Amino acid sequence: MTGTERTLPFLLLAPTLIVLLALSIYPLVYAVRVSLQAGTGARWSLENFSRLFSDSFFLSAMLHTLVYALLALTCELLLGLGLALLLNQEMRARSLFRATLLVPMMLPPVVVGVVWRLALNPNFGAINGTLKSFGINTESLTWTASPRLAFLSVVAVDVWQWTPFVFLILLAGLQAIPQEPYEAARMDGSSAWQTFRFITLPLLKPAILIVLLLRTMDLLRVFDQIFILTEGGPGFATETVSLYIYRAAFRFGNFGYAAAMSFVLLLVTNAISLVYIRLLQKQESR
Amino acid sequence: MKTPLAGKLLRYALAILAVAAAVLPVYWMMTISLKTEIDQFSVPPKWLVFNPTLAHYRDAFATRSFGQYLVTSIVVSVLATLSAVVLGTLAAYALSHFRLPYRLDKHFALWILSTRMFPPIVTIVPLFLMMRDVRLLNTRLSLIIVYTAFNLPFVVWMMRGFFSEIPRELEEAARVDGDSRLGALRRVVLPLVAPGLAATAVFCLIISWNEFLFALVLTQTDAAMTLPVGIAGRVTQYEIKWGVMSAAATVAMMPILVFALAVQRYLVRGLSLGAVKG
Amino acid sequence: MGVMVVSLLSSSCGQQQQGDGKQLTLAVNAGVEGDALKQAARDYEAQTGVRVQIVEFPYSNLFDKELVDLTAGTGAYDLIMLDDPWFPRFAGEGFLTDLTPLYQKKNLPGPDDDFVPTSLALCRHPYQTGTLYALPYLGNSQLFFYRKDIFEKHSLKEPATWDDVLSSARIITEREATGVPGGGKLYGYVMRAAQGNAAVADFMPIFWAFGAEMFDQQGRPTVNSAEGINALRFMLELGKSAPPGYSSFNADEVSAHLLQGTAAMSINWPAWIAAFGDPSKSKVIGKMAFTTMPGAQKPGQAEIGNWLIAIPRSARNVDAAFDFLVWVTNAEQLKRSAMRGNPPTRRSVFNDPELVAKFPTYPVQLRSLETSRPRPRTPRWNEIENAFGIFLSKANSGELSPEDAMNQANAEILKIVERK
Repeated sequence: MTGTERTLPFLLLAPTLIVLLALSIYPLVYAVRVSLQAGTGARWSLENFSRLFSDSFFLSAMLHTLVYALLALTCELLLGLGLALLLNQEMRARSLFRATLLVPMMLPPVVVGVVWRLALNPNFGAINGTLKSFGINTESLTWTASPRLAFLSVVAVDVWQWTPFVFLILLAGLQAIPQEPYEAARMDGSSAWQTFRFITLPLLKPAILIVLLLRTMDLLRVFDQIFILTEGGPGFATETVSLYIYRAAFRFGNFGYAAAMSFVLLLVTNAISLVYIRLLQKQESR
Repeated sequence: MKTPLAGKLLRYALAILAVAAAVLPVYWMMTISLKTEIDQFSVPPKWLVFNPTLAHYRDAFATRSFGQYLVTSIVVSVLATLSAVVLGTLAAYALSHFRLPYRLDKHFALWILSTRMFPPIVTIVPLFLMMRDVRLLNTRLSLIIVYTAFNLPFVVWMMRGFFSEIPRELEEAARVDGDSRLGALRRVVLPLVAPGLAATAVFCLIISWNEFLFALVLTQTDAAMTLPVGIAGRVTQYEIKWGVMSAAATVAMMPILVFALAVQRYLVRGLSLGAVKG
Repeated sequence: MGVMVVSLLSSSCGQQQQGDGKQLTLAVNAGVEGDALKQAARDYEAQTGVRVQIVEFPYSNLFDKELVDLTAGTGAYDLIMLDDPWFPRFAGEGFLTDLTPLYQKKNLPGPDDDFVPTSLALCRHPYQTGTLYALPYLGNSQLFFYRKDIFEKHSLKEPATWDDVLSSARIITEREATGVPGGGKLYGYVMRAAQGNAAVADFMPIFWAFGAEMFDQQGRPTVNSAEGINALRFMLELGKSAPPGYSSFNADEVSAHLLQGTAAMSINWPAWIAAFGDPSKSKVIGKMAFTTMPGAQKPGQAEIGNWLIAIPRSARNVDAAFDFLVWVTNAEQLKRSAMRGNPPTRRSVFNDPELVAKFPTYPVQLRSLETSRPRPRTPRWNEIENAFGIFLSKANSGELSPEDAMNQANAEILKIVERK
């Protein structure tokens, strides 16, 4: 009996561990091997890694990714928090509001790409069409066609899709806050801002950190919508690291270089995630 | 506590604005799928009144290959979900109801979660080369395998949360009655976590259904392509058939929305890998 | 249940034998080029009983899919349709089947000399002289498109030089500010300047006419020569008479502008000519004229852009694929394909009286094709084109000056060329 008791959990865990070893860990090892083989000869070299630092395309794709993540994260957090505070109050039809807000984040990213290609089309898209019918000249509003506007457009699409997610998690966080501190604050005669700043925000911090962690991880890997919306263009304006890696691997056939770049992406993602996780752990141990 | 009327109105106005922003673009795409070409391009845009047509749906699913993509999407996401849920639930049970030596349970749990953090583009190159070596490229099986691995960490973390909420005493009572560990799991624990299990499964379905990058790289012919890949394939050609694309996209999103509404209650926990209770 | 699962999983397709009939899988470009091949495939099925399955991809994904299939050797495709600049890469890496032994097996000497030489030259590796790895299916070479009604209206003559093009474009843009029925603006010129293939293809005729070359004798890039920079400067000048946002235009936007009658001139592929006569798409029926490339310091030269068909080394049904390949490129089939709007690759078809009656531009097209020039034959063309296209697009969107764009492009291309 005690024998099975000892081995049973390992038996139960084994299939999962094996699958993950085979399909998550082994690929990483494989990628190390591929990244250390430059060119056609099978000699070992660090060439793929040294090339990274002089590849202006890679560096600017990295920069785009980071700026994209930062911009989108800021907007999503502020808007999501605002919405959560708004809908945390007593309201008629609150659950209906909440349910409809879920629509964007559940959509397949490819569908999101299609939705926004339709909406942003300069000639017959819903946005320019509506503006035109109000008599606004839309000739310069080419959205995904001009570099600066294209970058903002893809960020806006991300904000559209993922603000609801931030909202949902923060709303859950708000609803888990007990009522007592608020009652105490009211007795002290604190202002609404003071209550928010000194009660709500600190108590909401774990939820905020989790949202930041999950969103950052997703933002740094963004691929699908941009692939559909702009494919990295115009010029190189919306090319992110994931797109550039895809291009290097599957359009140029440079698997080794692609693998090397993906390690840098992994490193950056992990470094940033680690900061959040440390903060979270500190929060929990308090 | 009374709120002034103006404030109340403002609140509703803001909420309605948010809902409109969330839903209108999607609605616009749906109207495009039902409009004839002439109405699609009209300025000012026709939001409500137009002559609806199902021609684009017929075109997409009867004459083009979208019917085939749809079948593949269903097969792949259902089978990947089944395998991930079965394997992941067993693992989650082991992690939540047993204490392993050297705090291995904690280590395993974290390690499993960390595999979910790899950006997909990092593993796609090696996975592609591996699938090539075992001659599985361009098969549904390759997608099922990859999606199973993709979903596992998620199932483990979500189910671990649900299991930990079951009082130990219930299980112990069952074992006193003569059930084995697995007997207790089946007879007592599983029925209690059934709603959570269903929610987890729905999440896996959604994730597999929406997945794009792996399917893009691992499939080469119509027979193995999923709906997102099929839709993406129609986006960048010369003459974009907006109606067909919108019709396919509408069909691709419908089941997801239905499922998402069904598990609304568990949504927060699911999306945050169980880190926040919803 | 188990059987069902297995059958659901095993649809790796391509090689399922249906009865005794063979099945071929053919990867094609989505669009007019692929459509003709699709119809030919239906005819072939009816004639021979061989099932031909077509998989179509948009231009920007087709190369990826083929490269993946070829490097992996999946054998998903028995035949691939490829754009000619991809050929050096595929042939150079030994991904394609040598056609000569297949001809010998059938006691045939090889491809007949009815094929236009510039087209057949693309199918050999090395260029023109090497082993035959493909056959030319679709004989595109660029043509200069312009609106003859608008030119007549403003008494402009058919442009012979790029300076003519620029002055006409300026005049038209200025005088036709409300020239489109309904009051829209008619732009003098429209071009594709989206990153990648598009910008490069539409720039090359200007680049060459200005006397610039992409590479010198030693194979080092020279795009930032004075001629090259001047050519780009000229492109930007021309861009001032183009619709806003043209720096992200691809084929679909350009064709929309031409078909809607909102642009008066363009460089384009002849495969599109048929669409101008289609009342369901075109508002400019009978108003388009087509001529050869304008010149500048040098006589105008069009870029050749042929679609070839090849058999991957990993193909599962090489013999059946070869039968199809020979069949689909014979004169009769190319004529059928031509009737569907695709320019042929055989002289006899270009000179066919019935076709010349239907497509009065055929003599011009044949002349343009015979004198056309291929893009540099390098296995790294895709990467070079990608880099070059990004800088061209950046210059056109105003992000970079022509000098900076060309200097940076040159440096990037040098890196690609020098890499081992």
